[in-house]
Amino acid sequence: MNSTSHFTIHSPWRQGLRDALPLLGGYIPVAISFGLIAMQAGISIWEAIAISTIVYAGASQFLFVAMFASGAPLWLIIIMTLLINARHVVYGPNIAPWVPRGRAWPLLMHGLTDQVFALALIRLPQLEQHQRQGWFTGAMLIAWFSWIGGTALGAIAGEELTRRWPLLGEVMPFALPALFLLLIIPKFVSRPWVISLSITVIIALVLKLGGLINVAIPLAAGCGMLLYYAVDYREKHRG
Amino acid sequence: MDNSFWIVIAATATGTFAMRSLPLLWMQRHLEKRECNGSMDDIPLWLSISGPCMIAAMTGTSLIPATPDITGWLATLIGSLVTLLCWYKTRSLGWPIVVGVAVFGLIRWLADYGPLAG
Repeated sequence: MNSTSHFTIHSPWRQGLRDALPLLGGYIPVAISFGLIAMQAGISIWEAIAISTIVYAGASQFLFVAMFASGAPLWLIIIMTLLINARHVVYGPNIAPWVPRGRAWPLLMHGLTDQVFALALIRLPQLEQHQRQGWFTGAMLIAWFSWIGGTALGAIAGEELTRRWPLLGEVMPFALPALFLLLIIPKFVSRPWVISLSITVIIALVLKLGGLINVAIPLAAGCGMLLYYAVDYREKHRG
Repeated sequence: MDNSFWIVIAATATGTFAMRSLPLLWMQRHLEKRECNGSMDDIPLWLSISGPCMIAAMTGTSLIPATPDITGWLATLIGSLVTLLCWYKTRSLGWPIVVGVAVFGLIRWLADYGPLAG
């Protein structure tokens, strides 16, 4: 997938569904785990489904359930979950140049998760303006419904599923790193990008392995940005 | 569940939605004021760098296998290389992921249940 080339599609909606299919490999197993953990924390099936439907933010949902079950103060739960989701603030502005003004777009932003953002940032510039809303709607809906469906499945039959097919839960999530790799690889065209993106990947990996799960993405991305500026500056002032 | 549960859910959902939609509206207004016509040149440099860096960071965190043992890391490494090789040949999004996941799964299966098990 090339980030600069345009490509022809007949049904933007269906193309959005097709492009977002790999996300299901990562979403469904994690959503099943969430449904299962919510049940164990004393949250009902409908409440778990409601969380996945209206909050729809993976990491913060797990934190929410853990903090709520441990009896943490309400204000602290709200602050912590919003802090985890604060990285979403940069997603909208990044895709804004390819998003025309319209009443539906702000509502569609409910589906702007990490993975949908990654996909949209690469795909939207390749589409004609009139195709973008259809594409985004298709992509965000399949991702959203798979998250809700996975939560319901986990809440109803999570224990049975993980016992019967333990390997499935391990293998399917590999679709996410595979997708992300394909989304960043077209950027590897200049020295500043190669160095900053490679090191960002390594920093994020090390931070998560070191237990800093919630800050790994924003911190690594911040380091990558600084590195890009540094390498770019060096390149410009060398010649 | 009592009312406090729903208050927290409502506050978290509203806050998360606001963080996703309001910055988009802000940037759209900013671009309109500058009469831009939709390209990377229209947004500040730091913002255009932040997107790919965010994706790279997500790549890093997602590369850690569910079971981070030697087999898990080996499957991740080979699965990633096969995914990239397949992308190099096809330049598409779907097949490289299918092939990458299949190779990852095959290595895990061989190590856990197949001839390499035990």
